[in-house]
Amino acid sequence: MARLVLENASIDFPIFGAHAASLKQTLASAATGGRIGRETGIAVIQALRDISLDLRDGDRLGIVGHNGAGKSTLLRTLAGVYPPIRGRYFRDGTISSLIDPMLGIEMDATGYENISLRGLILGIGRREMARLTPDIAEFSGLGDYLNMPVRTYSTGMMMRLGFSIATAVRSDILLMDEWLSVGDAEFRQKAEDRLRDIVSNTGILVLASHSPELIKRECNQVIELAHGVQSGAQAGDPVAADPVPVPG
Amino acid sequence: MAAASSNLSRAWADWWDGTRNVELWWTLAWYDIVLRYRRSMLGPLWLTLSMGLMLLGMGPLYSTLFKVSMSTFFPHLTLGIIFWNFFTTTINDGCNVFIFAAPYLKHAEFPGSVFVWRSLARNVIQLAHHMVLYIPVAIWAGVAPSPRMLLFFPGLVVVIINLHAMSITLGIACARFRDVAQIVMSTLQMLMFLTPVFWFPESLPQRAHFILYNPLAQLLDVVRMPLLGAAPASGTWWFLLYFTALNIAVAAGLYLLKRRQLVYWI
Repeated sequence: MARLVLENASIDFPIFGAHAASLKQTLASAATGGRIGRETGIAVIQALRDISLDLRDGDRLGIVGHNGAGKSTLLRTLAGVYPPIRGRYFRDGTISSLIDPMLGIEMDATGYENISLRGLILGIGRREMARLTPDIAEFSGLGDYLNMPVRTYSTGMMMRLGFSIATAVRSDILLMDEWLSVGDAEFRQKAEDRLRDIVSNTGILVLASHSPELIKRECNQVIELAHGVQSGAQAGDPVAADPVPVPG
Repeated sequence: MAAASSNLSRAWADWWDGTRNVELWWTLAWYDIVLRYRRSMLGPLWLTLSMGLMLLGMGPLYSTLFKVSMSTFFPHLTLGIIFWNFFTTTINDGCNVFIFAAPYLKHAEFPGSVFVWRSLARNVIQLAHHMVLYIPVAIWAGVAPSPRMLLFFPGLVVVIINLHAMSITLGIACARFRDVAQIVMSTLQMLMFLTPVFWFPESLPQRAHFILYNPLAQLLDVVRMPLLGAAPASGTWWFLLYFTALNIAVAAGLYLLKRRQLVYWI
């Protein structure tokens, strides 16, 4: 039973610009009693404000909003990356994040080496990984190229490798930033089927997207972010308590 | 109170989760080394070779300058440079452990200690490649094998504990204050001359002995002396006992308080 909860969670990013981050300035402010406060005052970006969510098995949440509205920050917060400054975060169940399918790819290592390296990063045991590797290799369709260093790959081939590894495992909670679509026409169909399969098998899906059609197709509830605030009628309401059905 | 103690146990669990994931950090460290030399013919042997060339260049020169016999000076210098190099590269890498781990730390919840161990393991692998050089030097100089050499192993453990703690402290400090890495680098450059890496502590006048009480000089003693067939002074062990306790306390405190905030800074 997967569960993903945010209660009035807020995220602030301190911005240490050229003026604020250096030790000299901080020391200077201590020595001068903080009178040059303008220089040492740390600018803060309010990325998320009082976000509340309560997601359970079967929930498919879409996140919409303009660039910089806080979609990616919300995804990362749900992944457990950013602990909320205020409010609460709670998660139950394994999580898999497709935010960056290329995480930890080493350019000078071969495809096979990258598969096992990535397996370790994802926390999959060696035995499990040995079992999964032939599937990943076959699915990627890269054949003998898997024995070559990844730097020799084209961008499309690299994406195929990253995608094949990242989607090889199933988890209770799946986070995605836009619908992944990689490769040429033939691979694209395979990738689409695979993605469809893991999405339908996951307990909770959270999908950030700019495409209203996609959200309409995949999600059964939606929140809209504007300047880090849940906007519209659902602002402040927990979504699960009062799920907003997608029109149509 | 309950919140504070649960934060303590969470910080401990986080550190331990990373620490016991040996397979992950060892593999990452191994790839750091292997991939750097993959396209070269000699591979990681270059580590050994370039260090060997430096020692061959410096040994005869400095033994003449200092007017000491090569057979006493060369083993001292070899170990001095090898360990000093290990300390400084580990500490400098320590400054960047979390900054360089940003792609991972911003992607999912990783225990920070994984990346501290990765840096330490990478430097230990390098150290092993350099240590090979001491074998021919010791044989040539006629360093007699002695049971005291076994003291090297507890010495190395003390060194690793301290470097791990320093990497946590500096890694967090450098993520927040980007000047710290520069301060550390300059300080280490200066300390190289204030530490008996090249020269013998005995040639120091009595009134200047206080400069041997820099932690890196003491850490150097505790690994170098045993391999020269001598036992480090008991004062060295006591000094390091207090220093290690302080070092761990600072690192643990920072890890406890700033471990989760860190990701906002990188």
